[in-house]
Amino acid sequence: MKRNVKNIAFKSVIWTAALVSIVTLLFLISTLIWKGFGAITFDFIFSESKNFGSEGGIIYQIIGSLLLTLCAALISFPLALGVAIYKSEYIKKRSLQTITDTIVFSLNGIPSIIFGIFGLIFFVNVLHTGISWFVGSIILAIMILPTIILSSYQSIISIPISYRENAMALGMTQWQVIRTVIIPRSIDGAFTGLLLGLARAIGETAPIMFIATAFSGVTFPRSLVEPVSTLPTHILALAQQATNPQALENAWGSSLVLVTLVFMFSISALVRRIQYSKINY
Amino acid sequence: MASTFISIAITLLIFIVLFGNSYDAFSQIGWDLFSLTWNPAKDQFGVLSMLYGTFAVTLIALLLAVPLGIATAIFTSEILPDRFRLYVKSAIELLAGIPSIIYGLIGIALVSTWVASIFELSSGRTLVTAGILLAIMILPTIITLTDDALHNIPKKYKETSKGLGLYPYEIIQKTLLPLAKRNIAGAVLLALGRALGETMAVMLLVGSIDKIPQPFFNLLSPGQTITSKLGREVGESAFGSLHFSALNAIGFLLLLIVITLTICTQLYFRKEARSL
Amino acid sequence: MKKILTLSVFTLLVVACSQPNNNTVRVAGSTTVLPVVSVAAESYIKAHPNSKVVVNAGGSGVGVNQVGSQQVEIGMISRDITQKEINQYPQTSFTTHVIGKDAVVPVVSSEIYDAGITSLTLEQIAKIYRGEISNWKELNGPDKDILVIDKEASRGTRHVFMEIVLGDKEAVAAGADLVLGANNEEQTALTQSDSALGILSNAWLNDDVKGISIIMPDGEIVEPTLENIINNKFPITRDLVLITNGEPMGEIKAFIDYIKGPEGQKIVSKNGYVSISK
Repeated sequence: MKRNVKNIAFKSVIWTAALVSIVTLLFLISTLIWKGFGAITFDFIFSESKNFGSEGGIIYQIIGSLLLTLCAALISFPLALGVAIYKSEYIKKRSLQTITDTIVFSLNGIPSIIFGIFGLIFFVNVLHTGISWFVGSIILAIMILPTIILSSYQSIISIPISYRENAMALGMTQWQVIRTVIIPRSIDGAFTGLLLGLARAIGETAPIMFIATAFSGVTFPRSLVEPVSTLPTHILALAQQATNPQALENAWGSSLVLVTLVFMFSISALVRRIQYSKINY
Repeated sequence: MASTFISIAITLLIFIVLFGNSYDAFSQIGWDLFSLTWNPAKDQFGVLSMLYGTFAVTLIALLLAVPLGIATAIFTSEILPDRFRLYVKSAIELLAGIPSIIYGLIGIALVSTWVASIFELSSGRTLVTAGILLAIMILPTIITLTDDALHNIPKKYKETSKGLGLYPYEIIQKTLLPLAKRNIAGAVLLALGRALGETMAVMLLVGSIDKIPQPFFNLLSPGQTITSKLGREVGESAFGSLHFSALNAIGFLLLLIVITLTICTQLYFRKEARSL
Repeated sequence: MKKILTLSVFTLLVVACSQPNNNTVRVAGSTTVLPVVSVAAESYIKAHPNSKVVVNAGGSGVGVNQVGSQQVEIGMISRDITQKEINQYPQTSFTTHVIGKDAVVPVVSSEIYDAGITSLTLEQIAKIYRGEISNWKELNGPDKDILVIDKEASRGTRHVFMEIVLGDKEAVAAGADLVLGANNEEQTALTQSDSALGILSNAWLNDDVKGISIIMPDGEIVEPTLENIINNKFPITRDLVLITNGEPMGEIKAFIDYIKGPEGQKIVSKNGYVSISK
């Protein structure tokens, strides 16, 4: 009898908790959509921002964000794939594997603001690059490296051993095996990891706010050492004017655009992962 | 190959650079670093209020998100019918990717005003507000990972328990949770790591005042965290100055805490793989 | 293949580090001066399409630091450069160019103003910031705790305010409850609260954020109007300054001259500041 009551109590607690969570998360996304939708017009997306961002649009912010992210992708993808391949093909000792794992995980856990400070010290001051969007890409690339490494590694180790053995039996060197078997088979997984990494990178503020961005006057950069505007830093500037209704509306609009971009990346990654898990060797 | 070398070099570089820049602070300020006053003009750099704030805000976030997250995960893993699972899980995973600055916006535009009116405060910029936003931020992570942990328990355990006539809550409480304990702990540690390192939302909401609240448990007052301090003052300090070095020092402290946490998390997951 | 990619990335890196700036004027600093400079930049670029002016905020401290470390060409400050800052950058010779004037006004939430608190003495304000007065009723206002809003330590607005009110531009405000940064963040917090006291430039006053008049030692009540700034009656005024490393030349000089010129000064007035000609 008592157990039955406990069971019902437990169930209601669980249902309540789940409801609270789901309502909170729904609230999150619906606020964004509801409040941001009003700000989205053709002009908003395609014109410049003016007057502290409370007027005008966000075209250069969108361009800046995309530029930083895509460049980060170009830098990190080959690097990450290389690390993953190296780890699976060349490192045989268990202890070395653990050390590499630890380093990769540690890199993953480093707070984004630390990356920003590092970028500030190393690139802006020591190497004297000044505020540069390219440095921003490099920092973002370093940040998403672990994500891509882990994804690539997962897909590499899921290649059946028989593929490798066949290749070696045909007399290929290790490098040829990598080139013809491993890379083609793991590129898909690596790319999925890249999409996940980009979803994170495009939304980051702290790593780039000291080293790559400017508030206004920025158009398309003409060299590698110029700043850009980005959506997250723009939202930061607008959030500080939260009682100015115009600025606030633009903040929500920018947030909606940013979230849409993030979701574009993460939904693609998700879809690929679901598809991928259905493939049988 | 070259890329691994570069990656390792980069990680070590980050450490070295941060530590190198903090060296001045450590050598000149020494243990005074752990005092209460932060006043760059008088070369006083006490980080105690920041450590307290970081601790308080993270604690609030965990207290809110962990029970809620685990309970919700129990829901999605045990109670939700299978056909909804994919959609609900995907939705939650996507939500985990919402950029932190957006949480900051929601906090400053909405949550802080609600906190101010509910608790009748003069300002909604408090440790509690920051904690609440952090909780919402780490909730999806805890839900997803705990759900994975529960769902990956081999069916035989559940079936045996059912066969013994246990009620659902008993199955969950006495069989599933203990089995998933390690992985759930890992999930919580991961979420903790993220909460510790979060800058944007906290910086906008916590009040940024270098004080420990009076009394210390009154978390409905403004405070300061390590990340918020860094976010606000790094741009303002001159590169190479003692001020800059002190900021590096607290960054380095944060780095140490987070890396230690990450390594512990790794150990947790590693052991689990071997025992099952 | 991978090696080639990595190599090319590195080459780009090296190239990036050595790339000189082609005609971009970079500006950073005080959020008080920012509205003027960013609007001026917009119209300047329209008139000179080949130029590029990039503007960043950050506060007066950032302005000084970035000019000092030669990361920007023009810094915006709303206070004096401290001796410590000058010592920090021995290789930079800071040159100042005044482009306007404004006042630093103690401001309160509109609810407090409407409840009758429209003027205070400097000593009363000092007491609030020192933590000696903590409730508005002690000043014949409503019974509400004063939300004391302070600013980040290197902000120009704070330096100027603290110099006059507490006697030391880097004074610690023991009674502070919140520490904020830019002028507009401060304005937001004052609007969100109904019992706040803050420090703001006069150009940011509006219906929700009301400026307090100062009761001078001789009893005269001085309002924070443009007139009182021009004739220096209001006790807390300051110059709005652009700083450069040495004498500006080329594009930098052109931009500064533009701001000092009639069009620039029109923008200064339009934004609520006092132009230099007055």
